[in-house]
Amino acid sequence: MPRIRVGPAGEIQPGQPAFVTHGEIEIAVFRVDDGFRAYRNRCPHQQGPVCTGPVSGTLVATADTDWRLAWVLEGRVLICPWHSMEFDLDTGRRLRARTERLRAFPVKVDNGEVFVQLGPRSTRAATRTPA
Amino acid sequence: MTRDSRKPLGLDDVFIVDCDVHANEPPEALAPYIDMPWRRSLELLGRGPQRYLDIPGYAPILNLDPPFPDRGLGNRTVTTARQMRDDLDELSINVGILFPDNLLKIAVFPHVDYAAALGRAYNAWLADAWVSRETGLYGAVLAVPQDPKDAAEQIRTYGADDRFVAVYLPVAGLRPLWGDRMYDPIYEAAEEMGLPVMLHSVGIIHPHFPFNLEHIESRIVRHPINHEFALMANLFTMLTSGVPVRYPDLEIVFTEGGVSWVPFCMWRMDKEYAEIPTGAPFLERPPSDYIKEMYFCTQPIEEPERSRDLLTMIDLFDGRDKVIFASDWPHHDFDHPRTVLNMPFDADLKRNIMGETARRLFKLPVPVPVA
Repeated sequence: MPRIRVGPAGEIQPGQPAFVTHGEIEIAVFRVDDGFRAYRNRCPHQQGPVCTGPVSGTLVATADTDWRLAWVLEGRVLICPWHSMEFDLDTGRRLRARTERLRAFPVKVDNGEVFVQLGPRSTRAATRTPA
Repeated sequence: MTRDSRKPLGLDDVFIVDCDVHANEPPEALAPYIDMPWRRSLELLGRGPQRYLDIPGYAPILNLDPPFPDRGLGNRTVTTARQMRDDLDELSINVGILFPDNLLKIAVFPHVDYAAALGRAYNAWLADAWVSRETGLYGAVLAVPQDPKDAAEQIRTYGADDRFVAVYLPVAGLRPLWGDRMYDPIYEAAEEMGLPVMLHSVGIIHPHFPFNLEHIESRIVRHPINHEFALMANLFTMLTSGVPVRYPDLEIVFTEGGVSWVPFCMWRMDKEYAEIPTGAPFLERPPSDYIKEMYFCTQPIEEPERSRDLLTMIDLFDGRDKVIFASDWPHHDFDHPRTVLNMPFDADLKRNIMGETARRLFKLPVPVPVA
């Protein structure tokens, strides 16, 4: 299975993904918390360039917040620039949706270099990869 | 080389007519086309601060919402015909029918002469800088509701130009609604010139029904009221004042409402009509008969969990030759044509929705067949 070099881990900053391409597939690598996530730059909604959107937070009101509005997940919510759909960068899941999720790829860091591992089509989120 | 009929239709296999794309018209762009003293007004506005569809005296909006971090990215504009052609090429769209951006709110102006002058300037600007058979960009003549007589003259002027294929009826902030008899000159002119009328709304907060939404906190409540509810209200009044009866050759098109509200309107109005036929004395048949003769643009296309439900919905109003594609490009809730093309419709229905029905409706040139 091909492995694509993305670049030095230190150059991928939160909210500023690194992009690599393999054929027609464009992949963005995000730094999230203590690791990296790689997602295909295609929104499952209308196939917009989801990974070019901002990384932000979202507004919720739950029993945990005593039904008061709370801004949560700051730095972990990817917003598609086409229709503002929100995805959890940690899991690739669309927030508050039934099934949609970003196509994820495993990420490996070898000697400070980030690599994306291509493989059989997978919709599962990448495993947590330490920075 | 013929297409493999077993393969699903792709974007390049169909002729795509987009019945709703938006040309951005900043005040300074229309200034050269408008009469005095309004030219000075637009020049002044052109030098002032401008926000997206939010220009006092030109694109008035009562914006009560706080800005949310990193949202509102869909505030795209298309400011030249060249840019529009390039964008539509990128979307595999062959033909676009142009609507304004800022002047979507033209119906709110109390100053009749200013509104009429804006409408004339917009139409002249479209004719001068945008519409062209070669580029596949066509105009909808803006009919200013505040001055129906002037609007009728505009329809007759530009209706003789084959680069204009429809009449745009602004809906946002409209009073009275489009069923009022004061608009008869507009319908008479549109029917005479063979131009379909296209109702189009936009999100605003305004004292006029059903836009009096200042008390509603959530934008996702206001948005469908701004569009679908406004279209419903206008449709109902057009039925009860007999627009489709009195102008039998007039084609009526509803934009930016999707399609799922149509069966409700048919059945609800039939029920009312059965009980209170004096409420619609012009009608010769049940209201649903007339609604089935109208046209409905796809955007914002419903995306039900079971996508076949959308076909069921279209069949409920016999809409296989009445639903026409629209993207609403470049607005925040635009639909990529792929989204409609990938719905579980048969190939003939896909071709009709994506372009063939609109080609017939707007009398567009027959395209070179796609291989």
